[in-house]
Amino acid sequence: MKASTELKMSNHELIRCPICEAVNLDKIGEIKCRRCGELIYKHKDVSFNRTLAFLMTAIILYFPANFYPILITKKLGVTQENTILGGIMALWEAGSYPVAIIILLASVFVPILKFIFIIYLLISTEYNVKSSKIDKYKLFYITESVGSWSMVDVFVVTILSVLIHFSAIQIVPGAGATAFALMVFFTMLSALSFDTRLIKR
Amino acid sequence: MKKHKLDNLIICKRCHTLHKKIKLHRNTKALCKHCGSVIYRNHHNIIETTLALSISAIIALMVAFSFTIMTININGIYQELNLTALFVVIFEQHFYLMGIMLGFLIFLFPLAILVSIILLLTLMHFRRSGYLVKRLLILTAKLLPWSMIDIFFISILVSMVKLFDYAQIEIGVAFVAFILLLVLDIIINKQMRFNELWRYYESIYGVKNEQS
Repeated sequence: MKASTELKMSNHELIRCPICEAVNLDKIGEIKCRRCGELIYKHKDVSFNRTLAFLMTAIILYFPANFYPILITKKLGVTQENTILGGIMALWEAGSYPVAIIILLASVFVPILKFIFIIYLLISTEYNVKSSKIDKYKLFYITESVGSWSMVDVFVVTILSVLIHFSAIQIVPGAGATAFALMVFFTMLSALSFDTRLIKR
Repeated sequence: MKKHKLDNLIICKRCHTLHKKIKLHRNTKALCKHCGSVIYRNHHNIIETTLALSISAIIALMVAFSFTIMTININGIYQELNLTALFVVIFEQHFYLMGIMLGFLIFLFPLAILVSIILLLTLMHFRRSGYLVKRLLILTAKLLPWSMIDIFFISILVSMVKLFDYAQIEIGVAFVAFILLLVLDIIINKQMRFNELWRYYESIYGVKNEQS
């Protein structure tokens, strides 16, 4: 009996501080955590707009990240440029299937999934889409934790450019790598600035 | 609801279900009834164990950052990979933005996290300077999502697989240190719950600076 009333309270009046995990009373407007004193959330419109802005930046950066070469191979004066998808195809044809799948997941599917999840969360908070709140919280947790794994491709390119650094053959990171790294950075910022209070409404 | 009553409640990190805290037996953990993730655990000497683990982690980090990760050998030409070479090459090729990002993500943030964890746990162990501990706890919580040392390790493995056909690869000391660092990192992250640390913080320093 008591537990059920408290569960109801969790939907309306209590929120969790993302920094020190203390339970706080929810008020309208700005809240400072009672334990760590940090600002928990700003006004919800601010959070909504900021998430949207970071997300748009990330989506715009997604195109140069995929169309510009991420890897440039200079072999005896001949330059060969590889985009992300081209690199995955080359790996697949070379027969290293597990690595190809890891890179495909990390650098193609994870960013797109993150975009879709964040857009879905934003739309559902704005237009009151009827779905379970717990599912939305889980979705948000997944987006938050999976985000940084897309950096694998950028790191691989930099490691290769250090190792293959001879006069005859040389690997150089392309412009796509910078765009990709920035895109991951902005999707992470977008997920971090999303206010979980928005889910409740 | 009064403030001390709120302390008996805890919200699950994954699905935001509200739970009431109960007393746990020694070395047991409480799971969320909705999604089954660990919410909090009873660990009788969390400060001392985590401190020991993070000191060994920082030693592993120093080794991993200062020695060679691997050496490749293509037809008798050797090239080695270490962290300083990584940054030198990136800046030589004028990728300043990426160099700065990499410097923060794989070097500065992991180092800062470990240093602040060690500092705050030492201070808590000796029950000194509560304000600094508070700031460090907040800093660590904010930095934690930005450390990408584990992803960097996976990328090392991926690039090893890519180079396998063309070159002979020799593993360096730093590679072993990296593995050690990752294992320690996972254990520390599993063990160190911010909620528990804040509870210890309150029991050590009191709740006097609530207004500040």
